[in-house]
Amino acid sequence: MERKTLTRRDLFRVGGGIAASGMLPLPSFAEGISAKPLAPGRLGRIDYSKAKAVPTICFGCTTHCGVVGWVENGRVRRIDGNPLDPNSKGNICSKAQGMISYTYYPERLLYPLRRVGKRGEGKWKRVPWDEALGEIAEKMRPLREAGTPEEFVFHYGRDKTKGYTKRFTNAFGTPNRLNRRSICSSNRRAPLMSFYGREFEWESQDFENTQYIVNFGGNPMEAYQGGLYMMHRIQHARVDKGARMVTFEVRPSATASVSDEYYPIMPGTDGAVAFAMIHVILKEGLENAEFWNRWANYPLDDLRGDVAEYTPEWAEEKSGVPADDIRRIAIEFAKAAPACCTMSNRGSAKHYNGVQSDRAIRTLDVLVGNVGKPGGFCLSSLRGWAGRYGQEGLPKLSQPGPKASDPMPWGLGEGFNEDAFRKLPEEVQERVNAFPEFWRKKYFGELATPSEYPLAWHWYQMRVGQLVYPYIKESRQKVSVYMSFTLGASYGYPEANLAREVLADEELIPFHVAVDISYSEQAALADIILPEATSLERWDHHSTNNYGLVPYTGVRQPLVKPLGQSRSIQDILRDLARRIGGGMEEYFAFDDMEGFYREWYQNLPISWEDFKQRGIWMDETREKDYELYERPLTEAELADTSVDSETGIITQKESGKAVGIVKDGKSIRGFDTPSRTIGVYDEIWPIAAKAVGLPLDDVNASPVAVYDTVPEHRDLPEDRYIFTTFKWNVHTQGRSAHWKYHSEIVHTNPVFMHPDTGAKLGLKEGDTIKLTVFRPKGHTYRSGEEGAMGAFENHVRFLKGVHPRVMACSHHVGHFEQGSVAKAENRKSAPEQGIDSESKAFKDADIPDKLWWSREKNGIGGGVHINDALPINPCPLTGGQNWYDNVCSIEKV
Amino acid sequence: MPELLPWEKVGSEFKKVRKRAGMLIDLRRCVGCHACTVSCKTENEVPLGGFRMRVRYLERPGPEQSTIAFAPLICMQCQDAPCLTACPSKAIVRGEDGRVKVDESKCDREEECITACPYGAIFINEEKQVAEKCDLCEHRTDVGLDPACVSSCPSEALQFGDFDDPEDPVTKIAADAGALGWKENEGTKPSVLYIGHEPWMEEKANSGVQLSEADMDVTYEQNNLEVGKR
Repeated sequence: MERKTLTRRDLFRVGGGIAASGMLPLPSFAEGISAKPLAPGRLGRIDYSKAKAVPTICFGCTTHCGVVGWVENGRVRRIDGNPLDPNSKGNICSKAQGMISYTYYPERLLYPLRRVGKRGEGKWKRVPWDEALGEIAEKMRPLREAGTPEEFVFHYGRDKTKGYTKRFTNAFGTPNRLNRRSICSSNRRAPLMSFYGREFEWESQDFENTQYIVNFGGNPMEAYQGGLYMMHRIQHARVDKGARMVTFEVRPSATASVSDEYYPIMPGTDGAVAFAMIHVILKEGLENAEFWNRWANYPLDDLRGDVAEYTPEWAEEKSGVPADDIRRIAIEFAKAAPACCTMSNRGSAKHYNGVQSDRAIRTLDVLVGNVGKPGGFCLSSLRGWAGRYGQEGLPKLSQPGPKASDPMPWGLGEGFNEDAFRKLPEEVQERVNAFPEFWRKKYFGELATPSEYPLAWHWYQMRVGQLVYPYIKESRQKVSVYMSFTLGASYGYPEANLAREVLADEELIPFHVAVDISYSEQAALADIILPEATSLERWDHHSTNNYGLVPYTGVRQPLVKPLGQSRSIQDILRDLARRIGGGMEEYFAFDDMEGFYREWYQNLPISWEDFKQRGIWMDETREKDYELYERPLTEAELADTSVDSETGIITQKESGKAVGIVKDGKSIRGFDTPSRTIGVYDEIWPIAAKAVGLPLDDVNASPVAVYDTVPEHRDLPEDRYIFTTFKWNVHTQGRSAHWKYHSEIVHTNPVFMHPDTGAKLGLKEGDTIKLTVFRPKGHTYRSGEEGAMGAFENHVRFLKGVHPRVMACSHHVGHFEQGSVAKAENRKSAPEQGIDSESKAFKDADIPDKLWWSREKNGIGGGVHINDALPINPCPLTGGQNWYDNVCSIEKV
Repeated sequence: MPELLPWEKVGSEFKKVRKRAGMLIDLRRCVGCHACTVSCKTENEVPLGGFRMRVRYLERPGPEQSTIAFAPLICMQCQDAPCLTACPSKAIVRGEDGRVKVDESKCDREEECITACPYGAIFINEEKQVAEKCDLCEHRTDVGLDPACVSSCPSEALQFGDFDDPEDPVTKIAADAGALGWKENEGTKPSVLYIGHEPWMEEKANSGVQLSEADMDVTYEQNNLEVGKR
């Protein structure tokens, strides 16, 4: 690769080429210093004595920190943290400023567009909103009138409206409101819900009080949902309070790098290390038998038997982590109890054996009895405020009514959607008809609730996003109108080429509407594009788990008016519902969006004006969520209940729902599981396996955690490697590559490998390789097909911290749409009809001329698109995408 | 008077008087998130390619060391500032609190300051035809706000204070931890002090704040490949 060498002198001269004449100097704010004229597109320093600060909620990633935006002359200039947020405590990361980058991106979409050429050809005309919404309504209305509303599919990438889009799909009558949870976190949520119940699909370790953290592949310093909340607490505990953090990872992530100990681990073997730790803790007698016997639903002696063979030496052989270190870490962890905790995320969970690895890791916490204890593995309320477990005593917050009820489940019989069910392939109908009774009312067709993956919807609908396109291609569901909402499937889903193929096919998808803020790969394949208001221009309800262990709520509010003709998703769906009519409009009879949100928060004990000024509310006097399970049930909760004399489970007579358990003669809450204990043992796994014909000796079918090597990693030939993807701290999946200051830092995605591996392959840094990926071998989609499934070429970098069998490559870059910054080009590429890049609001002195890493400027370019070469690889039962199992080969180019 | 919200305590009446304004950079806490860099560039509209500050990603050198060290580099606000001495047009001046800043109206862009700075902290802003570098966000500190980078740091790795005030908590932390300047042997008496930096880091990040073909970093990848080519 030929690259121009920049001189030191060249590198220091930046931002040139813009004539500065004719501009008047701006007044200076800093004493004694007068400024030179500003280039067009520069605004000069913020005058904080005049700028207005407005609190809101960040949208830079999935963490959603409370922030304060500074607005000057009608423009958001700067994001600071909101110190009133008890979760972030006023901290932010680089991605907060990304909201400014995307709101004022010169290629931001501002006008509704209608395609004029062939789909995907890139020819558009600007149309009025009336015309755009009118055309969409004309396409949608007949589906509803014909009783086939399920042919409307709403598919989102990032929806933080907390139920507003569901208001629309329910009112329309379709169950097909799809997401990407399987791409992200379902393999980690399922084990948590199996252990702790529906309300605790996400844990809240008490990091600020912990003394010892064992981290299996979590990366909170870069990319974890809630990562920032964890990051500042972990660093405070480590540096100021002497806590230790041990990390098992496959590459030197930022989290691995700040940990006190880092062990490169063979991918997919986290469970082996966890099991060996359980083995050591039991052998050393360091378990908390009292806690285990009180709360685990599985005999300790049975566990002892299960792990007898899982010695540290065995785990070393599997994982490469030295047995002596495993032994020492297990002892240190157990001795720190209860102020110790595990953490894990995609690193452990996104493997064929990932749900079982996570169940083994979760077992460690139960074994040492740190659950719910100060410094331990805690659980804190997650969703909305509706009086659920952990929300007792909180003011109820709910989306204002009237809301339509959920669609009918699909099946045969009264109360079921028989018409839709009968259109399903026969084998699907047979499978569903044979399902256990408790699943019958949870089945809503193959897109929302794929019958081969019942644990994707057993607890709630997590869905299997990566199978949506293959299923549409196989005609498992007829689609008439498909709406993408901030969805990056055409770029970022595994086998993204298949998503593009299906979206380009007008027989499979006759009509595609994309709602987005920029000209994404997904929008490029639409028939109509609707420009959305950004997070700085709209409302949203916010509530999430607090690592400070007291529930809180916040509000995202508009800091400025939507630019151009962009509209919030709330406005878009409301106006569309009114046009479709037929009763839908009754659920959208509000004009004043602020009024709608005011009503949502009406039960807060502070005024709406106060709340808007603070951005956050929390009951400061509420006690922390320690040991929720030991809390006594109130008189009201005990009314109309009965107690099972054998199990002690307390059940509400009318609803049949378990609400507590009797322990030592006291009626207490217990855990949010059917048994009100911790589900170390859970029959749902083999039940699901039987229902879909998964052999009962498959690792995923076990009712209690077990270890088995990932099928395609068994007997891995010497010349094959494990291909792993990862996220950078400055990027957010596929939606940040057009943020100029972030892509300036990371705009490439070399394949990182261990230097010894590089030497073995005869490579030096900067060499180009071809990386070829093969299909998986377990019980999954297109498993075992021979030959390459995909390949790409990229250059290599060496890092000693990468496991020698791993090829690590990030996946945020290599865009082929999203405009000049994402494509690293010095020319605009979003459709002219949709943008306003020459207007004052969007004039940017850097874009597109100053992108120094572009090929035109002899730079390295904007990275390589790798997502076509990642196979669709759903984990059995849960459907979680097994991102990190893929076997690859390497050739020097 | 009702209690002010944190962001309402902004204005000249909230400005703190300092004699030696400076920054404490604690590498034990830094997680390499680049919040400071992006925040600085957004705040100061720093053109692409130039940096008032930059986080360096440095692979640890020992054969057994497999992780990455993060080092935010910035203008060190030297008490003996070579840039200030070198500037023939006296465009680099010292503020009353000791900070070193560029007087854009006087800058004739002779670039002597760039050569003189051992930290690569200064670059030429071609749009304005002036030398540019960090001034500790004077427009923010004048109204009682922390510099943008400090305000954005999620792990308290960056703290702003007065090293002339022994009672300033930041001064105390620096003293307790034995904080030192980056490249102390340059003798410039920096007012940016580091906790936890090691000699190999200074060597490996010798190119300083600006992008350089000598970079060996993991991020800002373009430059490192020049090394690969050699």
